[in-house]
Amino acid sequence: MNINEAKTILLLYRPGTADAEDPQVAAALALTKTDAELACWFEQHCARQTALCAKFRQVGAPAGLKEQIISEQLAEIRLNARRKERITAAVALSVTFAALIFIVISLAPHFSGADRSLGAYQNQMANTATSGYGMSLLTNDLTQIRTYLAQSGAPADYTLPPALEKIPVAGCAIESWSDKKVSMICFRTNPALAANQSDLWLFVVDRKSVKHIPETSVLQFAQSGPLYTAAWTQGDKLYVLGTRGDEATIRKFL
Amino acid sequence: MADSPDFETLVARHYEPLYQFAFSLTREEAEACDLTQQTFCVWAAKGHQLRDVSKVKTWLFTTLHREFLGSRRRQKRFPHLELEAAELELPVISPDVINRLDAAQVLDVLKQVDDIYQAPVALFYLQDYSYKEIAEILDVPIGTVKSRLTRGLGKLHQLLAETENQPPTP
Repeated sequence: MNINEAKTILLLYRPGTADAEDPQVAAALALTKTDAELACWFEQHCARQTALCAKFRQVGAPAGLKEQIISEQLAEIRLNARRKERITAAVALSVTFAALIFIVISLAPHFSGADRSLGAYQNQMANTATSGYGMSLLTNDLTQIRTYLAQSGAPADYTLPPALEKIPVAGCAIESWSDKKVSMICFRTNPALAANQSDLWLFVVDRKSVKHIPETSVLQFAQSGPLYTAAWTQGDKLYVLGTRGDEATIRKFL
Repeated sequence: MADSPDFETLVARHYEPLYQFAFSLTREEAEACDLTQQTFCVWAAKGHQLRDVSKVKTWLFTTLHREFLGSRRRQKRFPHLELEAAELELPVISPDVINRLDAAQVLDVLKQVDDIYQAPVALFYLQDYSYKEIAEILDVPIGTVKSRLTRGLGKLHQLLAETENQPPTP
């Protein structure tokens, strides 16, 4: 390495830095120990470098720059936070609204005003029987009635009380209760009635469609609108037998 | 890995050297402020992606330099010159001449140096960055840094020497 090469290398040397660790710089530095001219140049060079470093570092940032950077960033953060809050609130509102819709839809059948109690069922069936219904099948044959009801998807695997089996049947109809089919079997205890008339009715429905039914087959008597009714359960069915009269009247058919 | 410093601490620690670097590149206070602020904005948005917290300072300087280049919309490729290829005439300038100048005059002189040499020279004098760190910040090979420094420092010293012969500004 000659003197000029050493100067070229040492031009990149800054006193007091890690530049001396560079192998080329280290070699050039070693040469300054043995060459007086280079040593003199190097001394001047170090003074120049130190002076220039100081000049570059004399540049001061304008007053308030730091505060401006921080405050504008904080403002940006607040703005983003507000945006995020709004988005979060909108999402939460949407989720809440969706949940409310879901709850309303789920609970609608329970709170739609439809009374699905046994009393309501008895009243509705009693009113049906006494308000001019039309029998969909006119027959005196209980087997035909059972077949017709089964084909229509209405309850057909019912069991008649022994006394009721002896009463002449007039026909049947299919009614509706809470979206379930109700088998309505019409009996005629008064022989003077016309063929399409009846005065005793048995209603059979899936017991699950009526709320709050006791888990027993104990008879329950009640005045249900214009009829007196007896209700009982057997298997998965709820039976309601209704006629005009009183408990004694209806007991004769059970 | 150390925890990342909070934003205020980061700004307090680095805004001044970043501004000095920005000012040495732009020679415009407003533009240097904008560059410095933009650098911290980029940090606020992307700083969390930096895994090595010890590289924060280098990351900030790199970002500032990129923002500067972006603001200049410079598309030209810089030639890669190795140190050995650089032709150099070593200037002779007295340290007293430098000491008589103020910082603004020195930076005015730097402004006269070709653009591609300004950033490495500024980093060289400002922060005592190693050649390797300057290469990382400028995203160029270390050989390129050395050649640019050699040429840039040579030109800077030459221009400073010329100021010695100029009459003082009234």
